[in-house]
Amino acid sequence: MTIHKGRGFACINYPIGMNLGGDPSQALVHSTPDGKFMVALSSIDLGQGMKSVTRQIASETLGVPVEDVYVDTADSDTGPHCMGSFASRGTHRVGNAVIRAAAEARKQMMEAAAEELEVNASDLDTDGAGNIHVKGAPSRSISVAETAIAAQFKQGRTLSGRGIFLIPPSDADPETGEMTPVTCFAHAALVIDLEVDDETGEVEVKEINSAYEVGRALNPKLVEQQLIGGAWMGVSHALYETTEPNYPERDHRPEDFNTYLMPGPGQVVPHNLAVLERPAEDAPFGGKGPGEMCANPVLPAIANAVYNAVGVRCDRLPITPEKVLRGIRANGGARPQGMPG
Amino acid sequence: MLSVETFPTLQEAAGAVGPRAKFLGGGTLVMRAVSYGDQSFEKIVRAKTVDRAIGSHAAGLRVGAGATMADVLAARDLEFLHPVARAIGGPAIRNMATVGGNLFAPNPYGDFAAALLALDASVEMADGRTMPLADLLATRDHVTGLVAGVVFQRPESSAFRFRKISRVKPKGVPVISIAVHLKRGDPRVVFGNMAPVPARSVGAERALANGSDGAAIDAACAACLEGLAPEDDALATEWYRREVAPIHLRRLLEDGGQI
Amino acid sequence: MAKTPVTFTLNDAETALFVDPGANLNEVLRRGAGDLTTKHGCGQGTCGACTVLIDGVPHLSCLTLAETVERRRIDTAGGLAGGPNLHALQTAFMEGFAAQCGFCTAGMLMAAKGLLDANPNPTRDEVAEAISGNLCRCTGYEPIIDAILTAAARMQGRAV
Repeated sequence: MTIHKGRGFACINYPIGMNLGGDPSQALVHSTPDGKFMVALSSIDLGQGMKSVTRQIASETLGVPVEDVYVDTADSDTGPHCMGSFASRGTHRVGNAVIRAAAEARKQMMEAAAEELEVNASDLDTDGAGNIHVKGAPSRSISVAETAIAAQFKQGRTLSGRGIFLIPPSDADPETGEMTPVTCFAHAALVIDLEVDDETGEVEVKEINSAYEVGRALNPKLVEQQLIGGAWMGVSHALYETTEPNYPERDHRPEDFNTYLMPGPGQVVPHNLAVLERPAEDAPFGGKGPGEMCANPVLPAIANAVYNAVGVRCDRLPITPEKVLRGIRANGGARPQGMPG
Repeated sequence: MLSVETFPTLQEAAGAVGPRAKFLGGGTLVMRAVSYGDQSFEKIVRAKTVDRAIGSHAAGLRVGAGATMADVLAARDLEFLHPVARAIGGPAIRNMATVGGNLFAPNPYGDFAAALLALDASVEMADGRTMPLADLLATRDHVTGLVAGVVFQRPESSAFRFRKISRVKPKGVPVISIAVHLKRGDPRVVFGNMAPVPARSVGAERALANGSDGAAIDAACAACLEGLAPEDDALATEWYRREVAPIHLRRLLEDGGQI
Repeated sequence: MAKTPVTFTLNDAETALFVDPGANLNEVLRRGAGDLTTKHGCGQGTCGACTVLIDGVPHLSCLTLAETVERRRIDTAGGLAGGPNLHALQTAFMEGFAAQCGFCTAGMLMAAKGLLDANPNPTRDEVAEAISGNLCRCTGYEPIIDAILTAAARMQGRAV
C-alpha cells in the first residue's frame, strides 16, 4: 500500500445576487410606542445569519442599540416581498433595503426629536445608546423611547420607513452581447491537502487553507462559521454525497442518511481561514456575504489534489473511492504529479 | 391498523409472531418500518421480560438476545467483541439495538452477526431448539419462532479480529466488514456485505488452515472471494467490493485488527 | 383502535397520556405532551435530531415504541435549562456559534448531556464518538465538538 499526498488549488470570483440583476427585496421598519424598532422582512434565515446581520444593519443605520431592534421575517403574508435566500444575495440585497428603510425611519425619528427639543433636525445626532442629542451639546438630549412616545401620543407621527433594493435588470445587447451581469463579486482562493490510498482509492482530506474576500465581515463570527461549515459541505459534495450513485443508472439510490453519505464528526478537517476585508461600494457597510462560495472552491481544489496525488482526473462528482481506483487501474498504477518547489 | 400485543415471556411471544406479526426487540428495525408505513405486518409483538444476560454457559459464553450493544460494551467477558459493538451505530442506537435483532438486520447492517458467525456461534430459540448461526442466517427471512440467545466459545487471545470499512467516521455503515477467527487448523473468515447475509470465505479459510504466515496470507487474499457473492448498493458496486476485499483482509491479517 | 395509557416522567413532570398502537415516543412527546423541543428528523434512526435521554442514556425517540417508556424518565432539551438559567451546554453552544439552522441542536444537546453525565472529562475523540449518531448540515461539527468540550470544562470548574 502506498499513501500518496496531493495538493490542489482553486479560486473563485463569486457574483453576488441574480445574474443580470432584477432581483428586488423590500424591508419595512417601524418603531413601537416604547422606542424599539421592528424590521419586517420576508427573507428567510436558514441558519446563515440573515436575522443577525439585518438587525445589525438596522441598528447601525437607525443609530439605536442593537438590542432595541427586532427582525420579524420568513412570513410572506406579513413581510414585504423578497426574492429569496439564494445566490449569496441576502446580505447585499436585503441589507441595502434595510438601510433605506431604516434611514427613512431615522429621519422621522430625528424630526420628532427635533420638535420635542425645539431645534432643527439637522442639528441632532444619535449616541447609539438610545439617546438623541444636539450636536456639540450632549446635555440637550431626549431618549429614543421618549421620542417614540411623543411621536405616537402627542405628535401623531409614525417613526417608520420603507426600503427596496433593486439592481435593474440588464439585457444583453443583441449586437455586441454586452451586458452587466452583476455589480458585486466576492473572491476566494483555497488550497486542499489530502491523501489517496492507491489500493482502495480512499481519499482523506488533511487540511484546508483558504482566503476569502467578502467585502466587510459585518459579523465576523457568523462569517467564520459559515466558511468553516460550508467548506465541510464542499468536502461532502466533492467526495461523498450523491442521490444517484450509479448515474446514469437509477439503481441503488440511497434511502436514508446511513446510505446517503456525508463526512462524520471524526473527519473534521483543520481549516486555516483568512478573511480579507475590501468593503464593496454598493454593498451595505461594504458587506457582500460569503454565501454559496463557502463550499464551491472546495470541489475543484479536491479534484485537483486527487490528480496531483495519483494522476487521476475525475470529472464527475462525487469523487468516490471506486472512481479513483478505476482511474488508477486505467493508468496502470498511481502517477503522482509531484509537489512544486 | 396496527396493534401491539405484549406477553409476559419470550416463549409466549414466540407463539404470536408470524408473517403478519413482527417481534419488537430494540426497535431499530421494526419502528423504522412502522414510521414508514410498512404494510407487510399489522401486529407488533412484545415480551415483558427481556433476556439481557451475558455470562458463562456450559458451551462457553451466552448472550441473551435482548442484550444491547451497550450491554456488550459493558461486559468485561466480551472484550474481544467490544470493537464490533462499538462500530455499530451511534451511542443512542447502541443503547437500543440488540444482539438478537442484529442477526436479522439486512445489508449493510449485521456486523455483529458477522462476528458471531466467525465465532461459530449457535442460536438458542425460545422453544428450546438450537441451531448453528449459519443455518439461521440462511433461513432468517422465513424462520419460525424467536431467538432467545447466542452461545459461543471464547476465542484465544488475539485470535479474533474485526475490521469495518466505513466511509463515514467514527460511525458509518460498512462498505464491507471482516471478522476473522484464527482458530488453529480450522480458521474462520467471515465477510459482511459481501453476500446477501454475512458469509464465510471458504477460500481464505482453506489458505489459513495451516497458519497465517506471509505465504498463507498471500494465498488467503488471492482466494478470499471464493464463497462470496457481493452485490451493488448505494455504498459501492460489486466490482469495488471484489477489488478491495482482499486488500482489507490483508491489512486485517497483517496488522492484528486495529480498526 | 384502543389506545394504551402510558405514564412517565418528562423533565421532572409526571405525565400521563393515551397513545395510539404503534405510536413512537417522538410523536407522543411532540403531539401528546406538547414538547416541541424534540425534533422529528428522518424518522429512520439515521439523523439523531430526536435524541432524548431515557433513564439517563441517549435513545432515539423516533425508534422507541411509546408504550415501552411506562414508568421511565424522559429528558428532553426542553428540560435542560433551570428556569432562566441556561445549562452549561446551551451557553457553550450559544457562545461558540455551534448552531446555524438549529435543527440538530436539541438532539446534539441531549447526546452531549448523555456523554457528560457518564463521562465528565471526555477527550475530543470521545465527544466525536458521542455525537456520531447526530447529523449536522451546517457547522462541519467542529464548533459543536468545541462547545461540548467547553461546557465539560466549565462544569468541572476548569479554565477553558
